Order: sequence, then structure tokens, then C-alpha cells
Amino acid sequence: MYRLIIRRFLILPLIVAFVSFLIFLTPLVSGMDPATVVLQSQVLDRQPPPEAVERMKRELGLDRPLLLQYAAWLGRVARGDMGRSYLGRDPVSEKVFGGLQVSAILAFVTLAIALTVALPAGVLAAMRPGAPFDTLVSVGSQLGVIIPSYVLAPALILLFGVQLGWLPSAGWRGPEYLILPALTLATSPAAFCGQVVRAAMLEALSMDYMRTAKAKGLSGAVMIRRHALRNALIPVVTISSMWLAGLIGGALIVEVIFSVPGIGRVLFDAITASDIPVIQASLMVIVIITVLINTAADIVYIFLNPAIRLDSY
Amino acid sequence: MSAKATEGAHGRAQNDAQRNARRKRTVRLPHIAMLLPLAALMVIGFIAVFAPLIAPYDPNDQTLTARLEPPSFTHLLGTDHLGRDVLSRLIVASRFSLAITAVSALISGVAGTLVGAMSGRIGGVVDEISMRVVDMVMVFPDLVVAFALASLLKPSFATIVLAVSIFAWTPYARLARAITLEINTREFMDAAVALGSPPAFIIRRHVLPNIIGPILAMGFLRFGQMLITIAGLSYLGVGAQPPAPDWGAMLAEAQPYMRRVPTLTLIPGAAIFITALSVTLLGQRLMLRTQLRARS
Repeated sequence: MYRLIIRRFLILPLIVAFVSFLIFLTPLVSGMDPATVVLQSQVLDRQPPPEAVERMKRELGLDRPLLLQYAAWLGRVARGDMGRSYLGRDPVSEKVFGGLQVSAILAFVTLAIALTVALPAGVLAAMRPGAPFDTLVSVGSQLGVIIPSYVLAPALILLFGVQLGWLPSAGWRGPEYLILPALTLATSPAAFCGQVVRAAMLEALSMDYMRTAKAKGLSGAVMIRRHALRNALIPVVTISSMWLAGLIGGALIVEVIFSVPGIGRVLFDAITASDIPVIQASLMVIVIITVLINTAADIVYIFLNPAIRLDSY
Repeated sequence: MSAKATEGAHGRAQNDAQRNARRKRTVRLPHIAMLLPLAALMVIGFIAVFAPLIAPYDPNDQTLTARLEPPSFTHLLGTDHLGRDVLSRLIVASRFSLAITAVSALISGVAGTLVGAMSGRIGGVVDEISMRVVDMVMVFPDLVVAFALASLLKPSFATIVLAVSIFAWTPYARLARAITLEINTREFMDAAVALGSPPAFIIRRHVLPNIIGPILAMGFLRFGQMLITIAGLSYLGVGAQPPAPDWGAMLAEAQPYMRRVPTLTLIPGAAIFITALSVTLLGQRLMLRTQLRARS
């Protein structure tokens, strides 16, 4: 088990080195010339004169060898200095970490909604398999897993924002602005989680230890809570931690639809505006955080899964 | 003795008939559950193939005097913000979305299967390296990176396929490897090795035919997910470039007019949803079937 975990950790520096180099190459890959982009944004000149571009290149250090540029860039990023945005000249780190904060709030609220819906629904469905409620949960989760956020979001906006007028449909000015984006994001995790809980409960309920518990004279509620539910929760913990990772960058589309200033939106706006330092910083932060949470989720899974934990390797 | 034999045969026939009748009754329900998505997919596929012939109007024909019209007999699904016929755009758009998904699914499926089969068959360093690469790719935020990659490389058919396929091959590799490891223990594999067959031949002749069923089932399951990702990228502006019609792009274009003409946003969304749902339901059935076959 420890070898497995160590292997997961050893891979992290490799990923960071690989990813940071690729992200550093962003201007090269996209064919954007940073010097030209800076000049365009500064003097609003579509075609800056070549001498000015040359001068700006020297100023930005773009005439040095690529690997030296990479080392210098990495050094600055490691010190938390991600440069300044080409637009507005704000420090990039402020923009990116502000976005990260918003995305994190959205992710936690989403997860909370998903779990509060899915856990009771899954457990209740498993108590009476085949009953109308079970069918409802099965069909609902089948649809909920698949419906894309950009299909669900307009429908929710039309219903709650336009028809009923209960909730604001775009922006970020208070807690009520969280509800529709979080509902949209929570649908698919909730649906999937409901299926998983139901299946895990059904399996746990059919186990011998449940018969033993019954023979012991435990009441139904205690049996469910102490024996069945506890075992059924293992996959839920793993899945939740993986979703948290997916929600940090994966909320990109929802953040764009609802104008939520999360990190996905920061990246989207930066790409639209060819704002290279912000593109690099936000990509870097999204990738590293996702990789870290995913690795943590893998390790949690290893710890919680007896089949792997008790394995010798 | 002969009487006994005939009796036995007769009894067996009767048993078979009974079993067939029973099987028919139990099989019938999943059959319908499979037929419905299958029929939906055939209709969608037909529409995509013959799109230009079916579409009542030119999808890019603008009639600025007839903008944002509600559904009517001349325009069955109404017109969009440039007065283009929504039904025609919807029909022609199916082509781009489905073609790009199909190509990406094919590339990632083939690549993943080959990596997995080789990894499982050859083992050792090859297995170790390719599985660590799979671990590495799997922890990436795929949607974000695919979006950044495709838009930085300038969105086109090829760049979108590349951006999506880079992440999509890993589940196939894991599945193919798992099944190959299982096949490795079978006697016919020992026989093939004893006969001196080269590894490439063994993979082609013995491994691939055995893993193709589950891989296909997984392909259907992943196809729906992939269609949703690709339509999502196109919703973000990384898709067919305007004015070419594309489901995700239609959804994005309709958004500013959502309050005035809600159907404009709901229609392309429904097309994406129904297609993805049908493929996924079919994939689940296929998966169930291959699992049942593997167990028996």
C-alpha cells in the first residue's frame, strides 16, 4: 500500500515540471507574440512599428535563449510573482487567486447540495427496491447524470430567473447569486452519487452481517445507520473528493454562463483577450490544484478500500 | 434403450422450448429499452448523413426581415437572430458535432486499446511506464486543458480532435489492460507462445478479438460524454467557426435572446441531450450484455 502511495507522490514533481514547461510555451504554441500583444494593448495600435516591437522584446527578455527564459519565469512564479496582466496592468496573482476563491466557494456549495440530495434519496430508494420512489430516483439520476450544464443552465434561468423571477440569473453580488450556478453544477454529481449510494446500500443490505444484526435484535434504524450506511459511504467519500477536483476547473462553462468570476472565467476572458500572463497563471493554478486534489482522492481511496489496503504491495 | 434415448431427447426438446419461452419473456423488456435509443440514433444518424438533402432551407441563408420568428409552418422551429431557419441549421449542425465526436472516439479508442493490450501482454517496463502515463493523464482537468489547447492552437476540426483525444484514451487503456491480464492466464495463450507466435501476432490474433466487445461497449458509453464535452467546447467558441452551424455554437448564439425566444436556446440543447442520452443508454445495455457473457 505504501509503495502505491509513494508512487503517486513521486509522480507529482514530474507533472509540475512537464506542465509548467508546456504552459511556459503558450505564446509559442499559439503564435501570439507577447511584445506585439503588449504594444497593442498599451497604445491601441493594431500594427505597432517593428522597431517598437524589437525594443519591447528586449525589455521583456524575449531575445534570450528559451531555457533561460523558462528558468527565469519559473523562478518568478515560484516566488508568487506571476507578472502583470497586459490589460489593466493588475498583478496577475490577485486576479487568479480571487478567481480561485470564488471557484472554491462554488465547489463546496455544489458538493453540499449534491450530497444533501443524493444521500437520503439513494438510501430511501434502496430500502424498497422497485417501489415508485425507487423508480423515480433511478430515472431521475439516469437523466441527471447525462444532462449537460449548458443545457440545464438556460432551462433553470428561464424557470427561476425569467418565469418565476425568484433568483438572479447572472453576476456575483451576494449569496443568492450562488444558487443557480450551484444547482446546475450539483445535478450531475447528485445523480451519480444517488446511483452509487443506492447500489452500495443494496449490496450492504444483502450481506450476512445484516442478518446477524437483525438476529442480534437491533432496530431497523440502528441497523441501517450503523451497518449498512457506514459501508455504503466509502465510495461516496472517494467520489466526492474527485468531484471537488473536477469542480475547480470544470465549472468553466457554468461560470461563463452565469458570469461568475471564478478561475475558469478568468482563464476564458484571458484567452479571449490574448492576455498571456493571465492565461499562463490561471492554467497553472487550475492544473496544479486539480492534480493535487485528485492525487489526494486516490490516496483516500487506497486507505478506504480494504482490498487494496490489505494487499501486500 | 432407444425408447429411453428418444424420451430423453424429447424431454430435452421440451426443456429447451420451455427455457426459450422463459428467456423470451425475460429478455423482452431490456430489448425495448435498447430499441428506443437505437431507433433514435438511427434517425439522428440518417439526418446527419443526408443533412443537406433534408434541410428545408440553406442553413446560412439570412433573412433579416424575419428575425427571431416563433415556430410557424414556413419555419417549423422558427428563425434565429439573423433570420436563418433554425430547423435547417439544427439538421446541418448534427454533421459537425457527430463527425468530430466520432473521429475523436475512434482515435482515442484505438490508441487506448493498443496501449492497454500491449501493456498487459508485454508487461514489465512497458507496462509500468504506460500505466504511470495513464495515471498522470487521468489527474488532469481535461475540459480546461482541452479548451485552452484547442483555442491557443486556433480551433479547427483537427485541433479539437487532438485536444479531446489526448485525455480520452486512458479509460480504454485501463480496460484493455485489465482484460488482457485475464486472457494471459488462459491455456490458448500458453499454446500460442509454445507454438512460437510473435507478440504482435498474439495481440492481433488472440488478444484483440477477446477485448473488442467490452471496448465497443465502453466506446458507446464514452461517446455520449464526449459529445457533451465537444458541444461544450463549441459553446465556449472552440468549435465550428461561424457561420457554419454547430449545436454548441447555436446554443451560445441564442443565449442573448433567451428571454424573448426561449425555444431558440432549448432546441439545440435538446438535440445534444437526446443524442447523448440515446448513445449512453445503448452503451449501458451493451456493457451489461458483455458483462453477462463474461460471467457465463
